[in-house]
Amino acid sequence: MGPQHPMTHGLWTLKIKVDGETVVDTEPDLGYIHRGVEKICEARDFTQITTYCDRLCYASANTWSHSYIYAAEDLLGVEVPERAEYIRLIAVELQRIASHLMWLGAYGPDIGNLSIMVWCLREREMMMDLLQELGGSRMHYNFPRIGGVKRDLPHGFSQRAQAKLKLFLNRIQEYEALFDESTVFLVRSQGVGYAKPEEMINHGVSGPNVRAAGVDYDVRWAHPYSVYSELDWQPSVERSSIKGADCYDRYRVRVEEMRMSASMVLQALDKIPGGSETYHEPGDPKIIAKAPSRAPEGTYGSHHFEDSRGESMFYLAGGGEGRGKMPYRVSIRSPMFITIPYAAKCMIGYKVADIPAIMGSFDPCIGETDR
Amino acid sequence: MSDEPPNFSVFNSRILVDTVGDVTDEALKASRMKEVIGVLGGRLFNWGQRKSLFPLHLGIKCCALEMAAAGASRFDAERFGVFFRSSPRQCDVLLVNGPVSKKFADPIVRLWEQMPEPKWCIAMGECAISGGPYFQSYNILEGVDTVIPVDVYIPGCPPRPEALIDGFGKLREKIIRIGGVPSEVRPMSEAPLIVGDE
Amino acid sequence: MGKKISAAAQQKAAEELAKAISSIDGVSAELDSRSSGTQVRHTVSATSTPDSWRVLAETLAADHGVDYCSMITGIHWPEAADKTWEVVYHLMRTGVTDPAAIEGVVQPNITDSDALTGADVPMEIQISISLPDTREPMVASVQDIWVGADWNEKETWDLVGIDFEGHEGMRRVLNPHETPVGYHPLQKQHKLRYHGFEEMYDDAQGFMRKPADAGKIK
Repeated sequence: MGPQHPMTHGLWTLKIKVDGETVVDTEPDLGYIHRGVEKICEARDFTQITTYCDRLCYASANTWSHSYIYAAEDLLGVEVPERAEYIRLIAVELQRIASHLMWLGAYGPDIGNLSIMVWCLREREMMMDLLQELGGSRMHYNFPRIGGVKRDLPHGFSQRAQAKLKLFLNRIQEYEALFDESTVFLVRSQGVGYAKPEEMINHGVSGPNVRAAGVDYDVRWAHPYSVYSELDWQPSVERSSIKGADCYDRYRVRVEEMRMSASMVLQALDKIPGGSETYHEPGDPKIIAKAPSRAPEGTYGSHHFEDSRGESMFYLAGGGEGRGKMPYRVSIRSPMFITIPYAAKCMIGYKVADIPAIMGSFDPCIGETDR
Repeated sequence: MSDEPPNFSVFNSRILVDTVGDVTDEALKASRMKEVIGVLGGRLFNWGQRKSLFPLHLGIKCCALEMAAAGASRFDAERFGVFFRSSPRQCDVLLVNGPVSKKFADPIVRLWEQMPEPKWCIAMGECAISGGPYFQSYNILEGVDTVIPVDVYIPGCPPRPEALIDGFGKLREKIIRIGGVPSEVRPMSEAPLIVGDE
Repeated sequence: MGKKISAAAQQKAAEELAKAISSIDGVSAELDSRSSGTQVRHTVSATSTPDSWRVLAETLAADHGVDYCSMITGIHWPEAADKTWEVVYHLMRTGVTDPAAIEGVVQPNITDSDALTGADVPMEIQISISLPDTREPMVASVQDIWVGADWNEKETWDLVGIDFEGHEGMRRVLNPHETPVGYHPLQKQHKLRYHGFEEMYDDAQGFMRKPADAGKIK
């Protein structure tokens, strides 16, 4: 299934060996959009790298730029004001909803349900409007800064966000109805693509894929960062069967995560210190702290982050060009780089027609895989 | 194969088609009908293509999401006749929406060659125009126009869906301006257009 | 409020783990408190010699419940005084046990984060292995302990050039398959295209990048 294929969700090749209709062996072939971001970032300032990190996984840009910013703050030793952490949390969770909507909008057509695509993209436009108010552009916002955020919440953002999220929470029920009452969807996704939790953890699969198997691992509570502990939330875990998590469980986890993220954003808008109506000018110390711009040799920074697809991580080694203004090495951990070979293994034993269902349910995003 | 000549004659439909084609071709050339049919056919294809450009279902990178958004509810591109097809044999437009890496250079040229004439290429986004933010990369070509002739450039990173629809509009204007079917050699009057460059 | 691992439990667990693996010959580990926005997180940071890496990996997997290998970073230090190659392993312990199954249906395992202690506390572990100047840097592979290390090792070899002894099926994963043998882009002697090129000042319109377009007006 070559690089140009409507169902591969990105540019990669999946070589399949079949026996009749049954898949016998698979081999993924990546690297079609390998851009060498890790090498390019060695010639960029710390603030310039944020723009590259947005473009790593383009469906979920905010989570990747925040993932880098936390690692850069670890390297440079910066403490972030609390209001900025709340604003970051709002941006990250809205982005998580948008990413899952994009996934659901692409997964429906894989199964055969084309109407869900326009519904989900309609809701995603709502989320992108909110993110556009925060960040300034539709997709690559370059929103966080080292030490805080670029801008405060705009005037009236809180009301608009609450209205849109309440509408969104109603609409999720429509999607669930569309899928759960569709026999075709249930037949094509239940009992297909079993993934055992022990194997998944040993592989390094994390995020919604592993939570679908009943394992309660989420970086947001296990290696805490940001202000998630101030909010009332639970990781969304699904009850799967003893054979493992199938595609239906992975779908349900993401729908529950969308609900949970929406409720987190509503709580954060209530609890933000200073209130959601106060506006601080960009550069105000309440939303951004002063950060050094050089990192001497011998220092390093790393941070694990819960991306929409799993656990992402940045490792930065200081002491590069410009007497430390640029990193010496930027190393990016992509959850999909590990999950795609595992998902390819999950397909063995099923029919060729199940391949898009299984592949889509793991939510591949090739941008972060190929870096 | 055997040396002696076959002692039967094979009725081969391929030979029949070729012979008839050659004879008709000569006749048409002699009576100057071939040029007329060529021009009329070109005008017909051109008229047909103006309002129904079928791009290929190719999503390379981020601009592919804006392409999907352009085809979705808010910026419906289908009302302009733009309908995405999966097979290159059924497409008119190759919409390149991301950086072309060295590994992908060969497949994209193959996709371009598989598309039947008359065909067009739109380079969407900075990465396809000139390598974009990755112009220094060891693995990315500096723009898709190093391997494929491009007709319309749409700048932006990513360009808004409105810009993409405007790009299709500019391509339509270019098709109308050409009037016939583009030949293999693209003369200077068919210079590439840049959206936003009025 | 929302669930969270307490920092005190994490610190204690990190100190215990650091002490336990420091007892292995050639390994020195310590508690590493790193900042994380408004919070502090406690991790274990260790250095190991290449010879004791395999023993350390097996001990971590068997005795300390380290669940997976998150990432392997390879760094080329041609000008550093003490090392030329560095391999950093980032390992994770998730701290959740596999869920129990009742009557064939798995019960989701909601961990009580306040009750986790000892080897159950989720932990980040970073192990750095330095290699001296050699044309063929090599480290033992841990492909059989953690399957997640498989593709990470392929990527490290592909981009940086560090080989992994005992790794089956080493191949190029990100670079094209026809890349010349011995070309590993992230080594420091390979420079970026237009290295040192001040684009903004030297060539504002970007003409020099594509000489064929030099005459056109953008």
